[in-house]
Amino acid sequence: MILTSNLKEATRSLLASKQRTILALIGIVIGIGSVIAMVSVGRIVQDEALRQFKEMGTDILTIEKEFGGGLPDGGGGRPAAKSALKLDTIRAIASRCPAISNVAPSVRGTGEASFNGKKLERSGPMGVTASFLAINKLSIREGRFLSDLDEQSRFCVIGSQVAAELQKKGADRVVGSKIRIGDNLFTVIGVTSEVPQGGMRRFEPNEMIYLHITTSLRVFANAEISSITARVSPGYTNTAARDQVLAYFVSLGMGSAVRITSPEEIIAQMEKQMQMFTLLLGAIGSISLIVGGVGVMNVMLVSVTERRREIGIRRALGAKRGDIRGQFLIESVILSLIGGLVGIIFGVGASWLIAHFAQWQFTLSLGAILLGVGVSNAVGIFFGYYPARQASLLDPIVALKSD
Amino acid sequence: MLILRDIRKSYRIGPTEVDVLKGVNLEVQQGELLSIMGPSGCGKSTLMNCIGLLDRPTSGSFMLDGVEVAYTNDDALSDIRNRRIGFVFQQYFLLSRLTALENVALPLVYRGDAGQDTTDRCMELLKRVGMEDRALHRPAELSGGQQQRVAIARALVGSPSIILADEPTGALDTQVGGEIMELFKTLNAEEGITVVIITHDPGIARQCKRVALMKDGGIVE
Repeated sequence: MILTSNLKEATRSLLASKQRTILALIGIVIGIGSVIAMVSVGRIVQDEALRQFKEMGTDILTIEKEFGGGLPDGGGGRPAAKSALKLDTIRAIASRCPAISNVAPSVRGTGEASFNGKKLERSGPMGVTASFLAINKLSIREGRFLSDLDEQSRFCVIGSQVAAELQKKGADRVVGSKIRIGDNLFTVIGVTSEVPQGGMRRFEPNEMIYLHITTSLRVFANAEISSITARVSPGYTNTAARDQVLAYFVSLGMGSAVRITSPEEIIAQMEKQMQMFTLLLGAIGSISLIVGGVGVMNVMLVSVTERRREIGIRRALGAKRGDIRGQFLIESVILSLIGGLVGIIFGVGASWLIAHFAQWQFTLSLGAILLGVGVSNAVGIFFGYYPARQASLLDPIVALKSD
Repeated sequence: MLILRDIRKSYRIGPTEVDVLKGVNLEVQQGELLSIMGPSGCGKSTLMNCIGLLDRPTSGSFMLDGVEVAYTNDDALSDIRNRRIGFVFQQYFLLSRLTALENVALPLVYRGDAGQDTTDRCMELLKRVGMEDRALHRPAELSGGQQQRVAIARALVGSPSIILADEPTGALDTQVGGEIMELFKTLNAEEGITVVIITHDPGIARQCKRVALMKDGGIVE
C-alpha cells in the first residue's frame, strides 16, 4: 500500500513540475545514452574484428621465426648453424605432420617499386608459394597466380590497389606491364581481387606485389622466411596440429626457434584488448552519466525544499523517516529509470548510426541494455539517496512551519 | 488517559537558554472537551507540539493511555502519532495534489492498511463531517470551512485516542468557525471523542466543557 501510493505520488509530483523533470531527464538520457552507445559500439567493433579474423578461417596456424630466440647457433662458441628456416624444411611440414594439409611460407622483401620510372606508393614485395592464394582466401581477378613452375622466374602478381596505381600511371594493360623493384624487372601476370580493408592478415593484400618465394630469396639481400601460414587438416584440432608441428621442429633441433600461434590465442588476446577498449569507452560515457546524476540530485533537492510542509504534514500523520525517504527515493528512481529507458533507445540508435556509416555489422547488445537499466537504477538510488535522506531528517515542526 | 507531569521545555537560542514550558501539569480524561487558552507567546504551541509528540520535552513525564511516551525513538513516536493522535491545524494542511478522499486516507496509508475497507471508512467519515459529495475534489476546489471539515475527517480516520486541534477556527470567519466548533462539540457529545483545542480566543474556549489557562510557560487554572 505504501509502495503503490508512493509510486502514484512520485508520478504525480514529477508530472506536477514538468519542466524540471524534463531537464533532469535530458541529463540522464544523455548520460545513459552515451554509455550505451559507447559500450554498444565497442561490442560492434569487437564483433567486427573477430568476424574479419574468422573470415580467414580458424583452422590455420601461424608459424613465425622467433626473433632473438635460440636458433641453434650455439651461443657458447659452437659453430653457428644456418639461422634461417629453409624452404625444404617448411615444405616437408605438410608431409611429416598429418594434421597439416598445406603450408604457405612467405618472405617480406625490401626495395622501392616503380613503373615507367614513377614510384609506386603504398606497395611492398612479398615472396610466396602457389599455396598462398588458397590459404589466405584470396582470389584472382585477372590473369593467373604464381605456380610452382614459376620458381626463380621474374613474374609477379599484384594487389588490386597496385593495379589501379599502374593504370593511373599510364599502363594500358595491367597484365603484361613491367614493374621495377630495385634492379630487377618483373612482369605482371595476374591481379588479385579486392579484399575489404582491415582484415586480420598480417599484410595488406591489395597493396602487395607477390613474387615467387624462390625469386625473393635470391633477389633480396638478407631475405629469410619469417612467417608460415599452415592450414590444419580436417578432423584435427588446432592443438593437435600445433603439437605435431612443434614436434617436427624439435626433431630438427629447432624447437625454440619458432613460435606457433593458433587463432584461439589471437582471438583470446584480441577479445581481451577489445574488452579494455569497451571498458574505456564505457568510462568516458560514465562521465556524462555522473553529470546527469548530479542533475537528478539537484532536481530532487529542489523538490524536497519545495515540499517541506508536505513532509511535515506526512510526518505529523504518522509517516516514519523511512517512509519519507522511500517516497523521495522512489521518485528519483522513477526519474532515472524513465531517463534510462529513453537513453537506451538513443544509445542503441546512435550505435546503429555509427555502425551504419562505418559499414560495420550492427548487433544489438543485450548486455548494454541490461547495463543501461541497471546503471540508471543505480544512479537514481545513488543520487537520490542524499536528498531523500535530507527530507527524512527534517524536523516535523520546522517542516510544518515552512511555507 | 493523558497525564502531563512537570513538563519542561527549553530552547537554546544563541548563548542563552530560553525556558518555554516551565513545569506544565495537565490531566485529560477520556471524553473531555478541553481548551487550552492563553495569549500568544505563552508556550501554547510548544505544549501542543509536545502533546502531539512532534517534539520531545526537556524533562517531565508524559503518559498516554498509561504508557510513558515522551522519550521513545522517532519511529515509535511516528507510530503513536499515527494511531493515537488526530491533528487538526489552523491552516488545514491538506495535501494539494490529493483528493479529499485520499487526504482522509493518508494516516491509514502509513499504517499499511489498504483496499475497499479503507475507502469505505474514509467515505463514512467524509459523510460524518458533511463532505461526502466533495470526496473527489482537491483542496483548492474547497472553501476554508470545507477543507477544515476534510481535515477533521482525516484526524478521525484512524480512531485516535485524542483529537488535537491547534487554532482550528483561526483562519475561518466567525460563522464558519462556529460551525466547525459545533462539529467538534457534536463529535464529543455523541461519540465521546476526546478533543483538546488550543486557542487564544476566549469565545472558542468558552464553548468547551473545561478551560485550561496558560500563562508564562505554565497552566494556571
